[in-house]
Amino acid sequence: MAEGGAGEPPPPPRAPLERLVLKNAAEHHYLRVSLEFPDGGVRLNAAHFKQLVVSALKELHGEVGAALPVDVLTYDEKTLSAILRVSSSGFVKLWSALTLLGSYQNRKCAFRVVQTSPFLLALSGNSRELVLD
Amino acid sequence: MAGFAELNLLALADRKALRAVLEAAARLGYSTVAINHVIDFKEKKQEIPKPISPSELLPSLPIIPGKLKPIKIVTRLTLVVSDPSHCNVLRATSSNIRLYDIIAVFPKTEKLFHVACTNLDVDLICISVTEKLPFYFRRPPVNMAIDRGIYFEVLYTPAIKDSTMRRYTISNALSLVQICKGKNVIISSAAERPLELRGPYDVANLGLLFGLSESDAKAAVSTNCRAILLHGETRKTACGVVYTMKKPQPVEEEEETLPACKRAKTQV
Repeated sequence: MAEGGAGEPPPPPRAPLERLVLKNAAEHHYLRVSLEFPDGGVRLNAAHFKQLVVSALKELHGEVGAALPVDVLTYDEKTLSAILRVSSSGFVKLWSALTLLGSYQNRKCAFRVVQTSPFLLALSGNSRELVLD
Repeated sequence: MAGFAELNLLALADRKALRAVLEAAARLGYSTVAINHVIDFKEKKQEIPKPISPSELLPSLPIIPGKLKPIKIVTRLTLVVSDPSHCNVLRATSSNIRLYDIIAVFPKTEKLFHVACTNLDVDLICISVTEKLPFYFRRPPVNMAIDRGIYFEVLYTPAIKDSTMRRYTISNALSLVQICKGKNVIISSAAERPLELRGPYDVANLGLLFGLSESDAKAAVSTNCRAILLHGETRKTACGVVYTMKKPQPVEEEEETLPACKRAKTQV
């Protein structure tokens, strides 16, 4: 028997609209940096490089800054460039300490921060220079 | 987006060094730089020199990586004033001041700071970073300067060289930002060597150290600098609206064949 709408079950109640906000900010920030000397010819091994980074943090942010967990993930001695990893809370401190570093063992130097990203994969390319052929 | 600008590169006497600094600035990504001539009136009476013309400095301007345009070079004059009589040169119309694109003043006393914020026709007020502030900032003159479109400049190169300067820079910048609430601040270097320059994003990060918010810090290197250049241009115009340009004269013979009423009127 074809009854009308009276026999149909009532529509299921709609679930109340829900909004989920996931604030999973990345734990670490990665920086690709390169150390520049005016006339080159300075050798630094990885340990000295890390010590330089920590001393830069200590000069600007004191003992608390120097205690920041910084890791040197890769280091290339020929070009003096490295990838650093730091926890996100200390990112601004590390970057400002690297910017304001002026000298290493009485020789003028400059840290050039080439790329930064919360994702390590992003450091492999520069999306602003993508060319679509 | 407004390109990044570095509005304080000291005009060194050595052209080669200046060229090296300009090339470093282009390589780091700055679209506009200003070559700064500093005049200190404390010494014996100084004449205002003519600005360096960018074309004679570098025959071909270095190209910014990532863009196709070459770097833009403007000229800037900074007057270090410690006495009210030094400001008279700004009102003189015959001196070489008209040839500069940006005019900045570096007041050394509280009275001069007040005069600069309220009366003087300048684009930038420099804040001292190498010594303890000789006066405290007060809100009324700072707010008047913000209304007039004047910006405050903080230098970062002294902070790279010396640790006492670092303390002064940060403390002076913090007190400035507290009073002006982060508006109308730019950060620039007073670089004499290419190694003293830092990239634009590095400088914007320094702004965070000085108490600026993230958007203010990025504006300190880009948007505010563009506003200063436009403010400097309004000095050459009438109320910032009307430019005068020399129009090339039309050829003589055309005018003789037509009667006076049919001759082309000068067009705007």
